[in-house]
Amino acid sequence: MKNDNVDIDVHHVTRVEGHGNIYVNVKKGIVERCEWNVPEAPRFFEAMVVGRQWSELHHITSRICGICSIGHTLASLKATESAMGISISEQDLKLRKLALHGENLQSHVLHLGFLVLPDLLGVGSVIPLASSNPEEVKTVFRLHRTANEMSNLICGRTTHPQRLIPGGFSKIPSIKELKDLRKKMQDAIPDLQAVAKLFKSLASKLPDFTRETEFIALTSPDEYALYDGQLASTDTGKTPVNEYLSFTNEYIVPTSTAKWAKHVRDSYMVGALARLNINYDKLSPLAKQVAEMFGLKPVCHNPFMNNIAQLVEVVHSVEDSIRLINELENAGLQPQPDYNKPDIKVKAGRGVGAVEVPRGILFHDYTYNAKGICTKANCVIPTNQNHANIELDMKALVPKLLDKTQKEIELSLEMLVRAYDPCISCSTHYVKVNFV
Amino acid sequence: MKPKVAFFDFAGCEGDQLQVANLEEELLTLLGQVEVVSFREVMKEHSDNYDIAFIEGSCTRLQDEDRLKQIRKNAKIVVAIGSCATIGGINSLRNYKELDEVRRTVYGENAKLFDTYAARPIDAVITVDAYVHGCPIDRDEFLQVVKSLLLGKRPDIPTYPVCVECKKNENVCAFERGQYCVGTVTRAGCNSCCVNQGTICWGCRGLVDNPNENSHKEVLIKFGLTVDDAIGKFKLYFGWQEGKR
Amino acid sequence: MGTYALLWQDICGFKSEVRRKMKILSKEDFSEFVNSLVNDESLNVIGVKSKGNKFAFGPLESANELRLDYDVTLLPPKKYFFPQRETLFTYSLANGQSAKNPAETKATVIIGVHPYDIVALFHMDEIFRETKSDPYYFEKRNSTVIIGVNIQKMSKWNFSPFMGCATVDYGYDLMLTDLGNRYAISVGSQKGGELLAKYAKNVTSALTRDITLVGQKKREIVNMSNQKFDFPTDLIPELLKKTYGESGFWEEHSEKCLACGSCVLVCPTCYCFDVKDNPDLSMENVERIRTWDGCLLEDFAKIASGENFRPTRPTRYRHRYFKKGKYLFDRFGFISCVGCGRCSSNCLPNIANPVDLFNDMYHESLNMGLHVAAAATPEVNIQSEGNIDYVPRLATIVRKEQMTANETLFEIKLDDSSELGHKPGQFAEISVFGIGEAPISISSPPTKKGTFEICVRKLGNVTNKLHTLKVGDKVGVRGPFGNGFDTDALKGKDLLFVAGGLGIAPLRSLFNYVLDNRKDYGHVVLLYGCKEPRELLFSEEMQAVSRRPDVDFKSTVNWCPDNEAWGGNIGVITTLIPQVSFDPDKIYAIVCGPPVMYKYVIADLKGRKVPDDHIIVSLERRMKCGVGKCGHCQINEIYVCKDGPVFNYSKIKGIPEAL
Repeated sequence: MKNDNVDIDVHHVTRVEGHGNIYVNVKKGIVERCEWNVPEAPRFFEAMVVGRQWSELHHITSRICGICSIGHTLASLKATESAMGISISEQDLKLRKLALHGENLQSHVLHLGFLVLPDLLGVGSVIPLASSNPEEVKTVFRLHRTANEMSNLICGRTTHPQRLIPGGFSKIPSIKELKDLRKKMQDAIPDLQAVAKLFKSLASKLPDFTRETEFIALTSPDEYALYDGQLASTDTGKTPVNEYLSFTNEYIVPTSTAKWAKHVRDSYMVGALARLNINYDKLSPLAKQVAEMFGLKPVCHNPFMNNIAQLVEVVHSVEDSIRLINELENAGLQPQPDYNKPDIKVKAGRGVGAVEVPRGILFHDYTYNAKGICTKANCVIPTNQNHANIELDMKALVPKLLDKTQKEIELSLEMLVRAYDPCISCSTHYVKVNFV
Repeated sequence: MKPKVAFFDFAGCEGDQLQVANLEEELLTLLGQVEVVSFREVMKEHSDNYDIAFIEGSCTRLQDEDRLKQIRKNAKIVVAIGSCATIGGINSLRNYKELDEVRRTVYGENAKLFDTYAARPIDAVITVDAYVHGCPIDRDEFLQVVKSLLLGKRPDIPTYPVCVECKKNENVCAFERGQYCVGTVTRAGCNSCCVNQGTICWGCRGLVDNPNENSHKEVLIKFGLTVDDAIGKFKLYFGWQEGKR
Repeated sequence: MGTYALLWQDICGFKSEVRRKMKILSKEDFSEFVNSLVNDESLNVIGVKSKGNKFAFGPLESANELRLDYDVTLLPPKKYFFPQRETLFTYSLANGQSAKNPAETKATVIIGVHPYDIVALFHMDEIFRETKSDPYYFEKRNSTVIIGVNIQKMSKWNFSPFMGCATVDYGYDLMLTDLGNRYAISVGSQKGGELLAKYAKNVTSALTRDITLVGQKKREIVNMSNQKFDFPTDLIPELLKKTYGESGFWEEHSEKCLACGSCVLVCPTCYCFDVKDNPDLSMENVERIRTWDGCLLEDFAKIASGENFRPTRPTRYRHRYFKKGKYLFDRFGFISCVGCGRCSSNCLPNIANPVDLFNDMYHESLNMGLHVAAAATPEVNIQSEGNIDYVPRLATIVRKEQMTANETLFEIKLDDSSELGHKPGQFAEISVFGIGEAPISISSPPTKKGTFEICVRKLGNVTNKLHTLKVGDKVGVRGPFGNGFDTDALKGKDLLFVAGGLGIAPLRSLFNYVLDNRKDYGHVVLLYGCKEPRELLFSEEMQAVSRRPDVDFKSTVNWCPDNEAWGGNIGVITTLIPQVSFDPDKIYAIVCGPPVMYKYVIADLKGRKVPDDHIIVSLERRMKCGVGKCGHCQINEIYVCKDGPVFNYSKIKGIPEAL
């Protein structure tokens, strides 16, 4: 049954972070309007940090997001450290990588378990699943709790982590605590396998839709890049992180309080799928196995497979965490004083920090004066970089769905948005209009 | 009859609602005591029939006021969760900047994007019955407030500063370590979590009811901070409470 | 201080010959000793360790962590006997079962306690023993071995030599003195000797030169202090007494106070605590916990009605010095400060140093031409009988009568069918499980058997919840507490009851007792006043009383709104006093009402020449424990819950905070 007229007005899409609207109007089979609209209140972070001290910026910008807090804090610290020429120890580097794994684990499990799974099981939320699928829900909670315990141990807490400071950590775990964490990671593997099996059984519910697009992520010759690396694009290859502006090119659209971005095409995609497409060969062994279970390999242009890419990354994060803890143990954990505060030599400079957070590549760019006061800041959020891609995907998807009911079209479009795991309130961090 | 509960968010990072999700298995126990009828991040269903509304985020636009007033009409009890909702939070930092400075480059059709005013806590717009302070909220404190509401009891929120908790936790005072802390005028209830993690208190829970601000500023200066920096420390979270509107 | 030595003998049963033996252990052997303690899993071994750039007592994992050369720990060792947070008991709402908190009985050894902290523990012992013992405190105290160490480095704030606490000859099981390559160990108790014998190797007896060296070091310690009193410290109680009313002095010194409570929370002799109920999320189990509290905190003396008995910084700031230097001295015979200096070092605006304050006070007294002499040693009579029971008894509401919009009468029967056994004027702590406990005066006389009555105004959490309970619901009861009215002393006397508002509730217990024993008492007058007619309590009962020929009853309201019927007197309660004739030498006035009422009623009574000791009042304060421990109800040196709530006016008229 072909829908001649379709009117979809999804106000404030549910099960996504932040507020976004979907507007679709089809008349007599012609798509007249297909819009991904972001009405979220602007937050003005880039204006707020101007005039504040180098020692405060990570605390302030952490508040851009409650879920990728660790990522924002790390990108912020990297920017400040780059601007002032501050380096961190090998040990702290490993601990920061563990922090990112913890964040990825927490965010992906939350997304897959709480936000996506209900769609695949045909319910409105995870709440009824507590009665109908108690074991699966308990497994999700167990994994989520382990991820939070990991973040608490390394960073102090998941949201607005206190231990992450310029130059290192205010407090580090003991070797005993790290060993306990390693055991928890090992215990998580059977749970992950159960989750993979569950998603495999539901994989057919994910639409088989592709639209060719560009993918951008960090890349590194040493590992599956999350903390460090160069910028890479599936279209144009590698570039140093400092030149990120040539990739991101943010601009205003009238339908959105969040900026859009584009590189060589009209849009590009960041996130787990982008990372997997670019860095597939660096995935851990078990992670690759899970990818193979779903036939997921580079370059995949189905945005719905971002969900599966997240699942693959969760397995990778757990395995890689075990590797990192082994390395820390073998090197011997260097103690540091309680209430550590590295001595920082303040100087003028500009630095860019780029980090892969669960939703994609994040940039923080700060300029400081000689007193260590921030004079300029720019943040490019992963979800900003995805907004254009979301709308173009919608525009390509809607015509293919016209033989379905309005409710089904709505659900597919919502699932499309959810697959990106958008973090909308982060993406409206600032609006500045330049009269062109 | 379990009370019906709904979650809403305004200008914020959603970190407080994440803490509710972070209750993990305790979330299931909580669901044994309340019925969640609206929680946009987590569920599709929505109902306007709720007894208790939890609101996160600041009110930063005139158009947000209507939404807040509607929630107040629907709910018997309104609880502000997180600093943005209870005191204006980090959003209030920008109240010190001229809004025009940001608006200066706005033209034409894009002007509507700048419908914004001084960031404010939600009790600047509607009456609030209970507060869960913090950036983010502490899960245990959130549960304490919920339990109090279920028991029909006024939640027990400290009126004393973070120093009390730091001393009980036997922390080395930030000032003794050459750092500067605003815990002396900040409301306790977080169990001095940030100092426990080796840093300082930034003031995210807001000023105590009767802070001796002058004394604290003198302390900051006595220990070596400049006057501007001392004042600057109070701007991070206390903007709205200090009258920056 | 002689009493302490006797007390210690009492507690530890040490023999004097044990005490005189001093031992020597080389430093290596001492480390071995410590490590063998640590390796014994049945022991909980605590020692002084470094923390940041400071020190703190914490669990020891090896002798290497010990820092016996420390100056002062962040918190005193009292946290091991009186923890920051402690579960008193748990209660299951589902099946009404309550269980005492299983106390930690693991044997503990604390290594490195300085003499001033040892003396402080003695102060705490006295305080927790007085009248009734605190079982939670003593359980831990009795299962702990104290290994003291003589001070090697003194913090710049420490003034313990001036308080006689820089060295100590008792109170420890073992006391270490560092002699370079070895420790001299004084054995202070049987327990200490046994510990050494069991875990230490190569222990030798001290030689004369060791003993001499120890004596020399102890004398040196006395001179280490950076602080200096300008006058002999035994003047402190009298100095304080003379300075109480100098509000300018207190305002000036407390101006910078941040009400952060740091000074009291780190103090080794502070013991105030708060009690709260904490239900779990299933709402089926409740734990009652006690936590450290502090009198410097803003809401310490605040009651449910919102009234705060010490609302300003100067009043709270002053209270701390008075408690340490005067009230506890009057009660126990010691100035409750050991000179550790923790309060001074933790006060950011630097206003908490007792040395500075007392020196200022002394110089001020000189400027004012006051002559201050040391006070006589107070007569101390500390009794201790049995343990405090923190666990309530179960009781059931058998009748509920709403008397006014805000006040309801409850008739309560103890589930074990026993009598409450109270005297008129006493109060009980009523628990509404899950919410908390509130002190409520008993409104019925002990002559009423089987049940007792309370009249409750809904004000705070507990009373509001109580009002929602129904007949058949359970509450918890602790008590009776307080001193009650002296019904024997009042026999044969003429009685003038003056009740304002809710003050009728406690007075009723005495009044009805008097009616039940009418022939034992002389002429009886009851004056009862309320704000307006609809607030009158026990109205039917009062009407019956007004018809009795053997009682002179008068009532009044402050005003009468148009829509209420009232034919009686209109005016505040003092307008009734002129309407009563009495012989001031024979009359005894019993007064109870809102705080503001006392001043005016007492003034009028005294205007009628009623002697001070014929005026009896019943006061209200924030009362949490009911047994004179938590500190909340303290008015100067008096605990309202123990020494009151009934007071003879002559006893409290000189106490500024009382009325």
